[in-house]
Amino acid sequence: MIVVNGLSKRFAEGKGLFNLNFEVRKGEVFGYIGPNGAGKSTTIRHLMGFMKPDSGHSSIDGMDCWNNAARIQEQTGYLPGEIVFLEGMTGLGFLSLIQKLRKQTSTIRRDELIERFQLDVKAPIRKMSKGMKQKVGIIAAFMHEPQVLILDEPTSGLDPLMQRVFIDLILEEKQKNKTILMSSHSFQEIERTCDSAGIIKDGKLVALEDMHLLRTVQRRVFEVKVKSENDMETILHSALDTEVKGERTVHVTVQGNDQEFVQLLSGCEVQHIDTRPQDLEDIFMHYYDRREVAK
Amino acid sequence: MNIPLYLAMMKSHGKLIGGFIYGAAAYIVLIIWIYPSIADMKGFNDMIAALPEGMQKLIGMENGINSLSDYVAGEFYGMLFLIILMVFVILTSTRVMARLVDQGSMAYMLATPNSRARVAITQAAVLLTGLALIVGFTTISGIAASEWLIQGYQLDIASFIKLNVITYLIFSSIAGYCFFISSVSNDEKKALGISAGITLLFYMLNMAGKLSDKTEWMLNVSIFKWYDPIKLINNESDAFLIGCSLFISTFLLFMVSVIVFKNRNLPL
Repeated sequence: MIVVNGLSKRFAEGKGLFNLNFEVRKGEVFGYIGPNGAGKSTTIRHLMGFMKPDSGHSSIDGMDCWNNAARIQEQTGYLPGEIVFLEGMTGLGFLSLIQKLRKQTSTIRRDELIERFQLDVKAPIRKMSKGMKQKVGIIAAFMHEPQVLILDEPTSGLDPLMQRVFIDLILEEKQKNKTILMSSHSFQEIERTCDSAGIIKDGKLVALEDMHLLRTVQRRVFEVKVKSENDMETILHSALDTEVKGERTVHVTVQGNDQEFVQLLSGCEVQHIDTRPQDLEDIFMHYYDRREVAK
Repeated sequence: MNIPLYLAMMKSHGKLIGGFIYGAAAYIVLIIWIYPSIADMKGFNDMIAALPEGMQKLIGMENGINSLSDYVAGEFYGMLFLIILMVFVILTSTRVMARLVDQGSMAYMLATPNSRARVAITQAAVLLTGLALIVGFTTISGIAASEWLIQGYQLDIASFIKLNVITYLIFSSIAGYCFFISSVSNDEKKALGISAGITLLFYMLNMAGKLSDKTEWMLNVSIFKWYDPIKLINNESDAFLIGCSLFISTFLLFMVSVIVFKNRNLPL
């Protein structure tokens, strides 16, 4: 459905996109991960027809993204990374303007989404918080029931509850065989919804994998506090990668061997367990390491 | 053009347009209202004649004040209205394009099945409608004030309307190049600065050109060369020819703007 073929765009200072290739099939949810400034939004701008590639091309449903930008929008929903609306409008005013621009008359889906995200549509947009604006943006992207969704960091600004609502919405759309491309710098978010993911760094696609594989290379660190020194010894002498962090506290790194970890802990008296969030750079580094080893 | 977008935009620029209409209309009414007292003032023309020639031209009174038409054309159309329209055109042309791109709200319009050309044409229409409303209301206020507010002095309505049409076309051309700058800019402030800079330069060349014979050439490189309210209202210039050339240049400028906007990279 979405095809990116040899897409290149050079900016000053060696930035840009370099020979990007990937495909998102119909009914698939594609996660597009990368650190800030890697080129996620630039890729999306090409898909939206805001930018003309230096070479290569991208297409949605067989239509070229630059030449057929307007036609593509009939079946596409877009959530920009930075949300700025027209000034002096209320949430509802803005949504109905977008509906009119789309010549859409039915408000059923729109009202359903407003209800779902508990959006106060009467509030003027300029008085809205980041999260509320994000909700307006999400509703604007989904309300015309598009076949293709392009979402640039969709959950930024949403509270955990609303992130859940959003993830449920994505899963629901997936059931309806919609094609979704969403960018993110949060691995967790992508993990819960996507079938496959592309990792971009410095304008180059460094990995294109299905989610299952990414999950096995994803490295998580657990902070475990046990009740006795004995348990401590047991953990340190196991096959797992461990690091002592304090009195009866140890960091255990788990990478695909979750079962082993759980079994180890079942023999110990655990006082406290917590996960240490991993930043993306870390995930990348270990992803590369793992690949090097595999070779 | 997209009607819902046009209406939404007209609404969002409504306050600004309203403010300019109010300002321009109130001023023309005021200036017509005080005309009888100036006309009755003995020695006013002698006073003007005592000024250096360049100065007389500058304030648009080289022939003194002989009629209400001269007075309105020189005092209002030659000075204040010029500034009001300059400000409006520069401000609004920047707002309808560069600002939306700079802020990013253009992304939402282009994320609907409306082509860039269509959005740009709609925005151009908003700009030109706003200008038309200001000139239109000022024309009506001027005629109304001369008919009802004062007695004994006549405004030549046909010439007055002609003057307003040419004024509209001049500022449409100015709007044309400002719109072009706005369409190619990613930065709102930059667009505003360049548009204002060029227009002020034209205005200054026009003033300098009137000062003496040596500087007269400057008049020829300014767009305001086409704009001489006193000659226009006294039917001393070929309004039809000026009107046609302004209309064509306006059309071309807007057309080029739309084409360039259609083909450029947008940082949305």
